[in-house]
Amino acid sequence: MAKQPMAATAPAQFHSDERPTSLLSATTLVGPATVFVAAGLLVPLAILFRYSFNSFEPRRMMVETFTLDNYVKFFADPYYTGVLWTTLRVAALCTVTCVIMGLPLAYVLARTQSRFKNVLIMLVVLPLFVGNAVRAAGWMTLFGSKGFLNVTLMQFGVITEPLQIMYTESAVVAGIIAVNLPYMVLTLQSVIEGINRNVEEAAFSLGAGPITMFRRVLLPLSLPGILAGTILTFILGMNAYATPVLLGGPKFKMMGPLVYGQFQLNNWPFGASVAFVLMAATLGLTATANILVQRRFRR
Amino acid sequence: MTQSKSRREVLLGAAALAGAASLPRPVSAQPKGRIVVGTWGGDYARLLNKNIEAPLLIKDGWEVVQDQAGDPERRSKMLAEKRLPRGTSDVQGLSALNMYQMEDAGTVLPIDYGKLKNAGNLLPTMKYPYGVGHIYSGKVGIYNPKVITTAPVSYKDVFDPRHGNKLGIIDIQYQYTLVCAALAAGGKVNDIEPGKKLLLECKNAGMRIYPTNEAFAQGLKSEEFGVGVMWKARVVQWQNAGIPVTAVAPAEGALAYVSGFVIPKNSPNKDGAYAYLDAMLDKSAQEAFAVDMGYNPTVTNAVVAPDLNQRIGFTPDEVKKLVDLDYDHMNKNDVPFKEWWDKVLKS
Repeated sequence: MAKQPMAATAPAQFHSDERPTSLLSATTLVGPATVFVAAGLLVPLAILFRYSFNSFEPRRMMVETFTLDNYVKFFADPYYTGVLWTTLRVAALCTVTCVIMGLPLAYVLARTQSRFKNVLIMLVVLPLFVGNAVRAAGWMTLFGSKGFLNVTLMQFGVITEPLQIMYTESAVVAGIIAVNLPYMVLTLQSVIEGINRNVEEAAFSLGAGPITMFRRVLLPLSLPGILAGTILTFILGMNAYATPVLLGGPKFKMMGPLVYGQFQLNNWPFGASVAFVLMAATLGLTATANILVQRRFRR
Repeated sequence: MTQSKSRREVLLGAAALAGAASLPRPVSAQPKGRIVVGTWGGDYARLLNKNIEAPLLIKDGWEVVQDQAGDPERRSKMLAEKRLPRGTSDVQGLSALNMYQMEDAGTVLPIDYGKLKNAGNLLPTMKYPYGVGHIYSGKVGIYNPKVITTAPVSYKDVFDPRHGNKLGIIDIQYQYTLVCAALAAGGKVNDIEPGKKLLLECKNAGMRIYPTNEAFAQGLKSEEFGVGVMWKARVVQWQNAGIPVTAVAPAEGALAYVSGFVIPKNSPNKDGAYAYLDAMLDKSAQEAFAVDMGYNPTVTNAVVAPDLNQRIGFTPDEVKKLVDLDYDHMNKNDVPFKEWWDKVLKS
């Protein structure tokens, strides 16, 4: 039997310089995920968006029509706009606090040469190992009138009456920061790790102090990470549900619990419109922040 | 190597096989089909399984699957499935108000009581045209004697602004709290306005609002407050847990709470649904629920021990005075009531 040239006998999959086969084309690879997202997210969103223009009638629950009444009701009622402002305020406060607290921590994690670096990263991620509701329950035992914090302060004579921490905005802010901080730290840490240490040393060697180096070198270079982390934590803050319900109590309202409350009342059209107001506010603000920061970044 | 069997050996073997076949075997019922039960989770689901499903249905060959979720989610599912020829559940556990609501929305089957052999024992007030009452209790006044020295005897005594921040209410029970306050203020189940006025007076005096029943119990235990209203059955559970609380049947008549089951119109297994309702009304199941959960039986043939009955039940006079919600009025006004509760009372 005549000896065949190697190229002719090699299996087809080893021809690395060939065009990808149809099975491995980009469209095929992207297809399943796209179909999954379209079917699982976009279709229900489209249906919900349509519902937001229906009207509510207690006996029939939802009446098919096309009206803007639900959106008018939301923006005309100071109660609902107040809930939106509270949500924006809490999400913004949590995001800013996460940046301030997360940046130094992420810097240390990124630059440390310690052999325990992985352990430190795991410790940052540790709060995410339990669900939001379980974590909030932990905060409840800390913040309650007979909780750890109040009992400790009273035992040391710092206070005589328990502080009202539970069912306040402060409790909600603390709870959301605890949830969101790991996301911010991990995002920033991966970006700071990519910044060459030599640029920092160059700044120092040219006479810059630590603050100047941070302001002129580290901050601009880590801006993409700050932006990504900010968007992530802001979105999570805007859509928080378990923490506001469990730590905020009955008098404190954010948009997530408001949406759920409307569906509990079977008022799907208004619930859908509140959901889309929340979504539009979140998308609008994150897109605006993205554009503004990127413009600044390009300069 | 093979060995040939003699005719005697073959006959002996055949006799042994026949003998073994005639031995008593474990009884296995013929499979009857699957019943999907929509229910709350937690203790209620566990007790449905312990007292109804395992001893009365699964034993008889039914396969029972629980679809556990809160009632808002399950009601939403019923509404979403309304147009489908085949739904995903056979029975749904709901409060009497929610049963009415689902009937009003056209999602449930009228009950054919002729198909329930235990229907003859059912209390007439628990025979809804669209659902069957499973257990009931009443909204009673409660107080912690350490905090409130004068025992309340009526809703009026409970919703007294003079209690200041020693009065507590529960956010998720806005419907029943509104009606209790209305009765306290001289209103009726379909005249809530006096109750709203009274609640605002109590709020201005410092009334506390707790998000859930559990948070309310914690507040009661820690003596943050000392008086309020609650289901008598839940009070029994709290007493068992060591919370110092005493229940009093209000002079206005206790507001009744009924929990029952409906059959969705598109139930895939209607025979199974009726079998479930019948088992639920069985004497043994009803008695077990009274012992395990502190709710009253809805059938007349259930026997509750006198000491237990004293704790969970109501006297004949109190039973006569039980007040039912005006389901139609509540259903029509649920959204405005909730909006008032959120925007005015909780603001």
